[in-house]
Formats: sequence, structure tokens, C-alpha cells
Amino acid sequence: MSEENWIEVGSTDSIEEEDLIRFDHQDKTFCVYRLTDGFYATDGICTHEAVHLEDGLVMDDEIECPMHQGIFNIKSGEALSPPACEDLKTYPVKVDNDKIFIKID
Amino acid sequence: MNKNFIILGGGQAAVYAAREIRKNDKESNIKILSEENFLPYERPPLSKDFLLNKKNQEDLFFHSSDVLKNENIDFENISINKVDFENKKLFTKNDDFYSYDSLLISTGSENKKLSLDNNLNDDIYYLRNLEEAKTIKEKVSNKNKITIIGGGFIGLEIASSLSQLQKKVTVIEIGSQLMGRIIPKQIADLVQKTHIQYGNEIILNKQINKIIKKNGIYEILLNDNSLIETDFLIAGIGSAPSVKLFEHTNLKLDNGIVTNEFCETSIKDVYAAGDVSNFYHPLYERTIRLESYQHAQNHGICAGKNIAGVKTEYTSIPWMWSDQFNLNLQLTGICDDYDEIIERGNDINNGVIYFFLKNKNIRGACGLGIAGKVGRDIRITSKLTEKNIIVDKQILADQNQKLNKLIQK
Ligand SMILES: Cc1cc2nc3c(=O)[nH]c(=O)nc-3n(C[C@H](O)[C@H](O)[C@H](O)COP(=O)(O)OP(=O)(O)OC[C@H]3O[C@@H](n4cnc5c(N)ncnc54)[C@H](O)[C@@H]3O)c2cc1C
Ligand code: FES
Repeated sequence: MSEENWIEVGSTDSIEEEDLIRFDHQDKTFCVYRLTDGFYATDGICTHEAVHLEDGLVMDDEIECPMHQGIFNIKSGEALSPPACEDLKTYPVKVDNDKIFIKID
Repeated sequence: MNKNFIILGGGQAAVYAAREIRKNDKESNIKILSEENFLPYERPPLSKDFLLNKKNQEDLFFHSSDVLKNENIDFENISINKVDFENKKLFTKNDDFYSYDSLLISTGSENKKLSLDNNLNDDIYYLRNLEEAKTIKEKVSNKNKITIIGGGFIGLEIASSLSQLQKKVTVIEIGSQLMGRIIPKQIADLVQKTHIQYGNEIILNKQINKIIKKNGIYEILLNDNSLIETDFLIAGIGSAPSVKLFEHTNLKLDNGIVTNEFCETSIKDVYAAGDVSNFYHPLYERTIRLESYQHAQNHGICAGKNIAGVKTEYTSIPWMWSDQFNLNLQLTGICDDYDEIIERGNDINNGVIYFFLKNKNIRGACGLGIAGKVGRDIRITSKLTEKNIIVDKQILADQNQKLNKLIQK
């Protein structure tokens, strides 16, 4: 795959541990997370009712939606708790020179 | 020997209980008896996305029939008319019966009905189930002026949805604020302001004296002699646990079926969960009855564990939400027993939260904000409450200080 698909999100210290930031690129919104074992990325909008997950709570490997407490696994995107039932899309992340990149297809 | 587990009522608590029993017991027979001819479905969208045509009937079911079949859970569409706890039997109106070894009652709650002195009872619509939601959706399609009697959560959600369908909506509430006294007045006022901004009329402190039907139009006469003309009437004046079936039995009732922290009722091998139960909460050291999505699910799961022999205490912190227009309201814990209130934020764009404290411990919180803005802090509040963590009040009151840190290890 071509290099262009890796999009720079920001520096690694822009996200606190067990937290996330929202990242908008073109007309899409993503969430980029810093967990204890590294950085991860998912779509930024809940699959249940289109609310921004940037306002959600990160706990261990999970992101909980701020609207109705639907829960997703951050690493796999799997919907773990209703009312969320559709999985969340995930994206590969790499860190290069203290900068975070995500690969958008 | 295989046991017969019967679940009476086929809603949210029922289906989560059934699947949890199966998780822990692969052999026994599990049967859900439901008077509604639908697989268990989500009720919150009935007053919101279903009325707004953003969700269809198929979107509401928790699980497909395949999931239940694969887990060997029977679902039968039947109404139960009589219960014989002594002989462990449930009867239909034809006197057919079902025998159980353990019974879970999850009959939910039902709407209180307005009593009018003339023959207009059939002209007033209520919303509790999918059939009623379909009827309302169809009937309002060619109506313009809609009056909603009762300014509680469900009435206001319907008001929000119908306003978005370009209807002219009036809400009549007997009390001095919307959503009852459990909601802080400031939050009720913000919700009211939003309804008015979107064109809904909100009438507080007024009672209906009379409703007159004239040429298919209704005239509502209020106790201050004002008159409202309307094309369609919907009432949402509160609900009560569905316990009629048990009124002349020795099952202990008090604002629902009284259960302990293990979902056990006063009768051996009979459990209750969801809206119908008034359950003992060990943290609050009192009984609580909730009508909430999250509670129906978690309480059902807890009942399922206990029925299958995995003794489990129910300690979940209460939580519920209401969505109206672009607002999301959330309640956690209990908000009616406190000695101090702390306010966080004052603008719905960033979220407004009221924390209720007693002896310095957070007991509950109520928040309102543009969709998504209060959820995280409310969720953190649930966790702080659960763990009895005493928090610096200045942090709670200061929206610039994130609450995440308070629950991180
Ligand atoms: C319109 C509406 C909107 C809501 N919105 C929200 C919301 O936004 N947020 C939130 O947190 N909660 C909301 N709720 C509350 C939530 O949906 C309920 O708390 C939840 O459904 C309760 O689940 P339950 O299993 O206890 O009862 P229910 O889901 O009500 O199921 C009980 C079932 O038992 C059946 N039954 C009763 N008696 C018998 C009998 N004798 N024989 C056979 N079957 C019987 C009933 O017909 C029903 O199907 C809403 C509820 C409604 C009605
Ligand atoms: S919008 Fe995310 S769970 Fe409902």
C-alpha cells in the first residue's frame, strides 16, 4: 500500500494515557487512543446514533459512548454492550519520531 | 434432572435473564411467555427514532429468533391470567397451564390511564408498546395540532418527535415543572426552553376540567377556564408496575414486587426483575424501583445468574437517559436523598450537571447537554458513587478539571 495512506495525527504527547483525541480528516472523524500498550484508532462516530465518541470514556481497552453507554473494544472495534450492536471500524496506527500516523483506506 | 425455568413477560429483562440462565445452565428448559406477539424489543426508540421514521420495527429487536433457537430458549406468545404459587403453575384464560421449578416475573410496567367522565377514553392514546407506537404514528400522519397530557419523559420525547414531524404540539402538565421533582428545576427549565424554542407550547400548573369532542376536534377546558383546540390527544401521565396478576396472592408487593439484592421475592423459587420489581440496593440500603433500559438489562442478567444457581448480588448504580431534540439528559444514582448540591457548568453546549451529595459522598447526579456532552462525567459519577470515593468539591464544580483522573488507578 502506498505511503500516502498514512496520515499524521499529531505528536504522541498530545494524548494522555487512557484517553483519546478526536481527529478530523477531509469529511471524516476519527478517534485516536492512547492505551497502556500503545496507540489505536477507530471511527469517531458511534454506530448507534451518530454521536461523537471523543466525549466518551476510555476504560482499559474499551470506549464507552457518552450518549447511551454503548461499549466498543478499541482494538477490535467489536460492539460489546447494547444499545450499540454494530461494530466500530478500526484503523492501523504507527508512531514515527514521536508522531502518530493512522492509515485511512 | 432438567428443570423448568419460566419467564413471565417477554421484554428486555426477560431476554437478558434467559440468555444468562443458558450461559450457566446448558440443560434446563427455558421458556419465555409473552403477551406481545413480538420478540423482545427496545422500547426507548418508540417515542423517538421509531416515531421519527429513523428506525423500523426490524431495528428494535434485541436478538433474532435464530439466536434464541440456537440457545434453546422457547418464546411463546401467550397471556397469563392466573398464578398458583403454591403448586407452581401459571394459567392462561383457557385454563391451560405451565409448570415451573423457578419463575422469573418480568412483566414490566403499564401506563396510568386518565379517567374522564364522558365516553372519550378511546380517543386518548398512550405509548408503552410497539402496537401503540404504530397506531400513534399512523393516526398522527394526517393530524396537525397534537396535545400531550403530562410533561414526563415519555410525553416530552413524543412532543420532541412530533415537533420534528412539523406538528403543532401542546404539552399540559399539572405540576410546576417538567419531568417531576426528581429533576433539578434548573434542568427542567432548560428542557422547557428548548421545547419552546422549537415551537412547542408548554402549559404548567394546569389541570384538565373537561374535554369535549366536536366534529372530530377536541376542546380541552383547563381549570383556569382557558380552552385548547386539538386534533389528537396523547397521555403520558406516569406508569405503575404490572402486578395486577399477583394482587390476591401472598407475593409481597409494595410499589412493585419486593425483591432482595439477589432478585428473590418473598416466595421461594420466584424471582422478579426490571420495571416490575422494587429491589433492595445494598449501597443505598433501601429499595428502589426503576424504569430504565440499563437496569432492565443488568437486573435481568443478575436474576438469570441467581436462577441458574450462581449467587450474585445486584449492586449496579441506577442510570437512565432521555433524548429530546438535540438534548441528552442523564440521571445516575439517586437524586432524592442529599444534604448538598454542587453545580458543574451552566451552558448546555458544554453540559450542565448537578451532583447530589450526602455526608460528602456522591449519591447521584443529573446532567443535561447537547448530545454527548454529559455522558462521560455522569458515567464517572456512577463509578465514584459505586466506590464511595469522596471527591474534592472544587473539582466537581470546575468544568476545566477533567473527572477521568478521579477513577484512574
Ligand atoms: C416509550 C418508552 C420510551 C423509553 N425510553 C427510555 C429511555 O430513553 N431511556 C431509558 O433508560 N429507558 C427508557 N424506557 C424504559 C425502558 O424501556 C424500560 O425500563 C424497559 O423496557 C423495562 O424492561 P422490562 O423487561 O422490565 O419490561 P418490558 O420491556 O416492559 O416488558 C414486559 C413485558 O411483559 C409483558 N407482560 C406483562 N404482563 C404479562 C402477562 N400477564 N402475560 C404475558 N406477558 C405479560 C408485557 O406485555 C411486556 O411485553 C422507555 C420506555 C418506554 C415505554
Ligand atoms: S449513540 Fe452511542 S450508544 Fe447510542
